Amino acid sequence: MLPAYITTGILIILGIYTILIKENLIKIVIGINIIESALILLLISAGFRPGAAAPILNQELEQVVDPLPQALALTAIVISASTTAFLLAIIIKIHKRYGTCSIHEIKNLRG
Amino acid sequence: MINKDSHGSFITWYKKILILILGGLLITILYHISEFTVIPEISSHYIHHGVEETGAVNLVTGILFDYRAFDTLGEATVILSAAAALAFLLPKRRTPLLQSEFTIIVYQIISLILPVMAIMGVYLIIFGHLSPGGGFTGGVVLATIPILLTITYGISYTEQKVPPSYKSLVENVGALMFLIAGFMGILRGSTFLASGRSGISLGEAGTLISAGIIPHLNIIVGLKVGAGLSTIFNSLIKEE
Repeated sequence: MLPAYITTGILIILGIYTILIKENLIKIVIGINIIESALILLLISAGFRPGAAAPILNQELEQVVDPLPQALALTAIVISASTTAFLLAIIIKIHKRYGTCSIHEIKNLRG
Repeated sequence: MINKDSHGSFITWYKKILILILGGLLITILYHISEFTVIPEISSHYIHHGVEETGAVNLVTGILFDYRAFDTLGEATVILSAAAALAFLLPKRRTPLLQSEFTIIVYQIISLILPVMAIMGVYLIIFGHLSPGGGFTGGVVLATIPILLTITYGISYTEQKVPPSYKSLVENVGALMFLIAGFMGILRGSTFLASGRSGISLGEAGTLISAGIIPHLNIIVGLKVGAGLSTIFNSLIKEE
């Protein structure tokens, strides 16, 4: 259990680092995606039980994992795919208008 | 050019210190909640009564399409609005961003694996309440078929085989059918999107025809997600 949580923390820190330090817009979107994947890992490890089976009850099972975080993780995956597609579309528009993906150059262009 | 004066590097150091503080807090919080292993009351209700109340053997599908079907409606709406916004934002010309010729091996293998992927997607959708899978997973598998066709054979060939108007029709009709399936719950004298609660015949759990409206919602969502994702990909790949 604990290693999954620590991995989640490290991945979220990596994502925040990518968002704050990198200047390429595509890399910032990759950072957002890293955070979303880390949150899915957190949800799945929150429902994990040692030695439990998958929550499909077509036979007699002694113990199954928590199905609720898995349903929420499915929601999170769909939302993350949609937002990633939308962010990439906005980046395509920005690149077409300014000719660059660097946030520093776009900031200098403005004024 | 990149601003490399003392002010810029000060901001970078400020950000790095901020990341360190945030990371320390995060690791501490996660370390403490990792000791929290009690099954919440609602989850144990789902595990013990989920099959008899929803009729679906797959508990995740039962939660998604029965207990929390309203959430799933919102989720499907997110994909619909993302596809609509992308089609609105991006150009409609036909020139593809990728123009590469492959060897004959790639074309032959693609045409070999496409039927297998179609069968797999339909299986994941139809058996969504019995086995791992479901509408969203099967829809993504179905959406990879036009995506693979676009990557190998080009966008004009794909749009000739699977016209965009057809995909948007499937997407819109899917959204409408989801709402109609929801209002059927009200017509049966229960709440919106009610399946097990509304007194519909659930059938024998574990068989193909069972679980009330869950298989119908699976098929609707699968078609909708497949159409929506391939629309998103085709919008992203076009160029003026």
